[in-house]
Order: sequence, then structure tokens, then C-alpha cells
Amino acid sequence: MEDFKFLFKVVLVGNAGVGKTCLVRRFTQGLFPPGQGATIGVDFMIKTVEVDNEKVKLQIWDTAGQERFRSITQSYYRSAHALILVYDISCQPTFDCLPDWLREIEEYASSKVLRVLVGNKIDREDREIPTVVGEDFAARHNMYFLETSAKEAENVERLFMKIAEDLMQQARSKDLPRYDSNTTNISGRTSAVSDNSCCSKLA
Amino acid sequence: MDYELPSEFDLIVVGTGMIESIVAAAASRIGKRVLHIDSNNYYGGLWASFNLDSISNILNSASNIETNLEVKQFLTENEKIYQFGNDAFHMHTHSQIWHIPEKANEQTETEQSDLPTECIQKEEESWTQEKLLKNSRKFNIDIAPKLHFARGDFVELLISSNIARYSEFRSVSRVLTWLNGQLEVVPCSRSDVFSSTKVSVIEKRMLMKLLTSCVDGDEKEFVGYENKTFRTYLKDRKLTDNLIHYVLYAIAMATDTTPCLEGVENTKRFLSSLGRFGKTPFLYSMYGSGEITQAFCRLSAVFGGVYALSQPLNGLIFNNENKFKSLLCGQQRISAEHLVMGIEKLPKEFVNFTATQFISRAVFVIDRSIMASEKENLTLLLFPPEDGKNPCTMIEVGPLTGTCPKDTYIVHMFTKQTTNPEEDFKHCVERLFGNSKNESETGEKENLLPNVLWSFYYTVPNTVNLDLKNGIPKNIFVCPGPDLDLDYDPAIAQAKAIFNEIYPDLEFLPRAPDPEEIIIEGEDNNNIVTEGENLTDQPIDEATEAVADLQIETSNDHGEGSSGIEQGEAE
Repeated sequence: MEDFKFLFKVVLVGNAGVGKTCLVRRFTQGLFPPGQGATIGVDFMIKTVEVDNEKVKLQIWDTAGQERFRSITQSYYRSAHALILVYDISCQPTFDCLPDWLREIEEYASSKVLRVLVGNKIDREDREIPTVVGEDFAARHNMYFLETSAKEAENVERLFMKIAEDLMQQARSKDLPRYDSNTTNISGRTSAVSDNSCCSKLA
Repeated sequence: MDYELPSEFDLIVVGTGMIESIVAAAASRIGKRVLHIDSNNYYGGLWASFNLDSISNILNSASNIETNLEVKQFLTENEKIYQFGNDAFHMHTHSQIWHIPEKANEQTETEQSDLPTECIQKEEESWTQEKLLKNSRKFNIDIAPKLHFARGDFVELLISSNIARYSEFRSVSRVLTWLNGQLEVVPCSRSDVFSSTKVSVIEKRMLMKLLTSCVDGDEKEFVGYENKTFRTYLKDRKLTDNLIHYVLYAIAMATDTTPCLEGVENTKRFLSSLGRFGKTPFLYSMYGSGEITQAFCRLSAVFGGVYALSQPLNGLIFNNENKFKSLLCGQQRISAEHLVMGIEKLPKEFVNFTATQFISRAVFVIDRSIMASEKENLTLLLFPPEDGKNPCTMIEVGPLTGTCPKDTYIVHMFTKQTTNPEEDFKHCVERLFGNSKNESETGEKENLLPNVLWSFYYTVPNTVNLDLKNGIPKNIFVCPGPDLDLDYDPAIAQAKAIFNEIYPDLEFLPRAPDPEEIIIEGEDNNNIVTEGENLTDQPIDEATEAVADLQIETSNDHGEGSSGIEQGEAE
């Protein structure tokens, strides 16, 4: 048995180039990858954090580049506990696409999934989206909102900790998206909801 | 923000069906530059799953070919261009019918119906089209439903390649057959056999003995049966009629004419998958069979495969030696050494073969299970052959599979076509489904037959045995559509064959490393591995693998019924 009590699946979406991979790597590895290249061979990253003295394992999934031509598989959204929708505060088109992303989320993700809106790259000086506009959008769509800089490590830790805390709280109040824990995971190790997950524990 | 596709790849895969997706994953996995492209706006092609809204539109799905585009301008001298797509290998809809009123309190005739609509429900709380369509997105209706043998080629491939992490499965909870005018549970595990009240004590011994000899019987057992049928063998073993029915039609999924050795092989296939994940040998993919193609696409993308759906595919460009050079996507020429494509995408000019076999298929949304019980079941029903009709395979899935809303079930049927889907399934439909008339007359809630809310009959050509090389340019590989196999065995074999032809001597879907392994690798040099090839060379941590194996063996979520027949002698 691995040493954690809760395992949550967090997925990132948003246009290509908004810094999704950088956010994940800043959080899980504490580094900011220089250069642009899309990450090859990396499916998801894992980091275990502590919330109220409980070990919480976050399994953070990246899009594998499939967002570039709007071709994310539906199965990517399945079984997600939290969803981070990212845009680039210095790039208006990435903000304009948010409604499209929300439609896709509505279609494929659980209606109870924790949704977070993130405006990334606040280190940049050519901001195009004022904070209040992002806040507004998030409020209208019932999302938690945060601005971050993966480069300067600003708010990144806070973002994921907030997610871990909220999911813990949801788990305690049994308000988590309920994925049937009776499914068979034939790899037996890496899925979000396996036998050692919160769902089966709380059920 | 619009991106432009790169203009050069090692391999272009057109269409996101099962075989295409496996090949794409296998090629990306060994570091080839792969473009996986589709004109459809959904994954899966002829193997996809749809919600209720979109399934009605699959045949009208607009091909976004720019018909006015002057394609010649993109060609150099001596080049030819052919348009994608043909009509020969698509699915063909016979009927899609609502059997319930459009809205509550209305007795409207259904609009699309060609058949008498005697199944209209009259109860207050009953389903309406409006209500069902409101739940449209809760549906994932397979057009090529599949089950997976727990120790079959498919499950083994998912585990060995580490693709298993992209999907979840439910185990099939019961196998049914139609026997003596009613549905009966087929005893498949040892404990089933012994707890069955339908099988006498003597029969139990006979059955266990037979199954044991099928699994580990020596060669001598079947001497003299090389040219005889499996039925003859079972008769000679003095099995009772009921037992012959269970073994022949359900466990071996055979017919009266199936040769003995084939029947034995089928029996082995069934029995050897018992006791791994549940009470029966079978698994079903959560959210529908369409998820499976996506799992392979995800792996391909993780290893650098470029994915683009909804693309305006304007043609295939060939040089004067009839060699594939490029495809025309919008106004962009994209080149590759090799092209793999689904059969339904093949240009008319290359259709040098015709399907001689067809598959009759039907999907029904019903309001309760075909055989209700306290908890929700996931059912495989093997309807035996009768009166010149072929045996029919049926899969019933419920809300727990994530493929239909609460208080509904989906029944999938498929069989080798003799006339047309309506005729081929008529006898099954009459026996399994009822209508509201029955309900008011009998008043017995418990034995109610389910009502059909929506039905969909269609035909698919069975292309798996066609010679798909005939007249096809050498660097193009054509993938057949869905076949009659319950699992993906033929699809995997086809994908592997195509892969081996394009990349002989290279490993087919070696195990993908786990994220933990890559992170460890990355921390040393501050740089995550960026080349697919590097990954293949990484030593696989054997300890980790052993743990994975252990977990597979113990992840049986049902506890009971896990002692497979093959695990020991009876009694």
C-alpha cells in the first residue's frame, strides 16, 4: 500500500502555449523548463502534499499537445476531480477561447468537477487581460480564480494547495464527483480512482 | 489561434478507428513522427461511441471537403490526386426509430418511423423523446460494441504496453443464453456450476470433467474428431441436451456445424479468462468501447504524435509511379513515407474489392433490464441459432458503465447477416422486449419485459477477411472496419501486421514508462527526456513491474467466483 490517503486526478486544459506544462513542472519539480518544446513521453506528474496532516497525492494530467488542433480525447476528462482551465494574460485569443473550453468541459467532465480558472504569465509586462476581467469570467462561471507565474513561481504552490484542500473538503463532505469504485483498473496502479482512493474509502 | 500542421512526417494515419489508432500509437512509441488526422470531428471512426443527439447525425456528418477548390494547383508535373472516401464500406442505416412520444401528454406519431409504433408508452412518468434527449450526453452508444477476455490479446496488450492506465473497465456480471423458451444464466465458473439449481449433480460432474479435459486434456482426447463437429464430440461425451446447449452455444459461442477443434479452442479461450477480474471472463470499457481507440491515441500523443480532427482532407497525391507522396489538408501539402488509412477513407479509385459478408447490428435503449435483478448487471447474452438464423450476440449495459442515464439500459445486438438487421433480430426482439400493452394486462411488475424507447438498426460490411492489398500502392496500408469478434483480437493482429510491414524488426508497443520513472530520470539533468527513442532504451525497473503484476492478479473486485474452472479438479 502506498503512503497516501487521498488520490486526486487533476487535469489541465487551455490553448497551446499558455503554460500548462510549465505550471505542472514548476509545482511538481520546482523548475521552469527553458525553451518551448512540447514534452514527449510524459503523461501526468505526481506530487504528494500534506493537508491537515493527511497525505494527498495529486496526479496532474497534461494535454499531450492534443489541444493544439482542438483534438483532446473525451477520455482525458473522465474521472477528473479537478480541472484547471488556463489562459495567458498577455494573449487575448487564449482568453477568447475560454467559452469553447467550457463547452467541452460541460460535455465530457463530471458536473461536480472542481473548476479553476488560471491566468498565467503575470511576470510578463505586455498584459492584455486585466485581472478584474478574469475574475469576472470566473465568477460568472462559478470557478475559483487565480493569477500565476510559472516562471517566477508565483501562486503556483498556492494554486495546487488550494485544489488539494478543496478536494479534501469535498471528499469529507462526500461531495466529490462520484466515480464508481467498483470498476476494474487492469493496470492496477495509476488511475485516479483505484481501490486506495478516497471514493472507496468514503463510500 | 490557428496553428499550421508540420509538412513532413514519417507516417500519416488517416481515420481514428481501432486499427489506425493502434498503428499510430505503435509508431509514435518507437519515435516515428506521426500525424494522426481525421475529417470527422470525433474519435473512433467506425468504432466510435456517440451520445443520443449525435448518433442520429453520424451519417449526415458533413464531409468538409472544399469541392470548389482547384486541387490541380497543388500538384507538380506527373502527379495525380484522388479524393478521400467511398460509399462501399460505410455503415448503412436501416432505421432509427423512437418508440415513445415526443413530449409528455401527447400521443403523437413518431416522425421518423417506418414501422407501426405499437410501443408508445402511456404512463405519466414514462420516458419521452424530450426527456431522453435532455440526457443525451449521458449516453455513450457504441456502434461497434466489444467485450474483452480477461486474459485475451487485448487485455494483455494494454497491460504490457502500459496503455491500461487510460481506461477503466467493469466486469461482465453474467452470461445468459436463451434455453427452453426463457433466459437462463450460463454457469461459467466452478462456483457457478456448483451453485446452479438448473444443473443436476450428475450433470455437474459431467460438465466439470468436460471443461477440464477441454482445457488441459491431452491430444488423445480429440483424436478422431478432426473432421467432426464440436456438437458430435459433446454428444459422444454423453452430455445432456441442456449441458450441450450451455457449452456449445454459450461457452464455445459455436454453432451446430462448428468443427470440434475450433469448439475446443473457443472453450479454452473462455475458460482461461475466468477468475482474473470478476465472475465471468469478460470486461467492458467504462464509457463505451469508443474510449479504447482514444486510449491508443493518447499514448501516441504522449509520444509526440500530432492529432488533428475535423480537418478538410482534400485528397491524396501520388507520383507517376503510383507512390503516395502527400495528402492535401486544406491548402497544405503534408508528406510522409507511409500512409495508413481506414477502409472507409479509401479513394474510390482504389476500391478493388467488395465486401461479401455483412454484419447486422442493432441498438436498443430500453427502460429496464432484459432480466431484472436486485443489483445492476452487465450482461452478455448468447442467443443460440435457430430456424436458419445465425446465433446473435447481445451485450446489455446499464448506467454504471457510464453509457446511459439512470433507469435505462442499452442492448447491443450483432450477428452475421443473412437478410437484413430487422429480420435477423426479429425473433430475439419479439422474445426479449415487450410493450405497454403487456404491462396493463398482466399487471405483474416483476416479470415485465423491457419497453423499447429507441431503436437503431444498421448494417456494416465485414471487411476483415478482404485482401486489402489488391491494387493498393505499396506505401499505403488499409485498415479494415469492425469485425464479428467479441474482442479486439483480429484488430490487434491486423495492426501488428501493418506495423511489422512498415517497421520490420522494431518492437511493437513496448511498455511505456510510468511517470514516476521519467521524473526520476529528469531530476538528474534538469531535462525531461525529449526523444521517444531514449525512452525505449531506459531499463525497466523490474521491481516496479513485479508490483504491477501482483496488483493485476489481486485486483479482482468481486472476490467470490474468482476460482476459475481451470484452477483445479472438480469436487
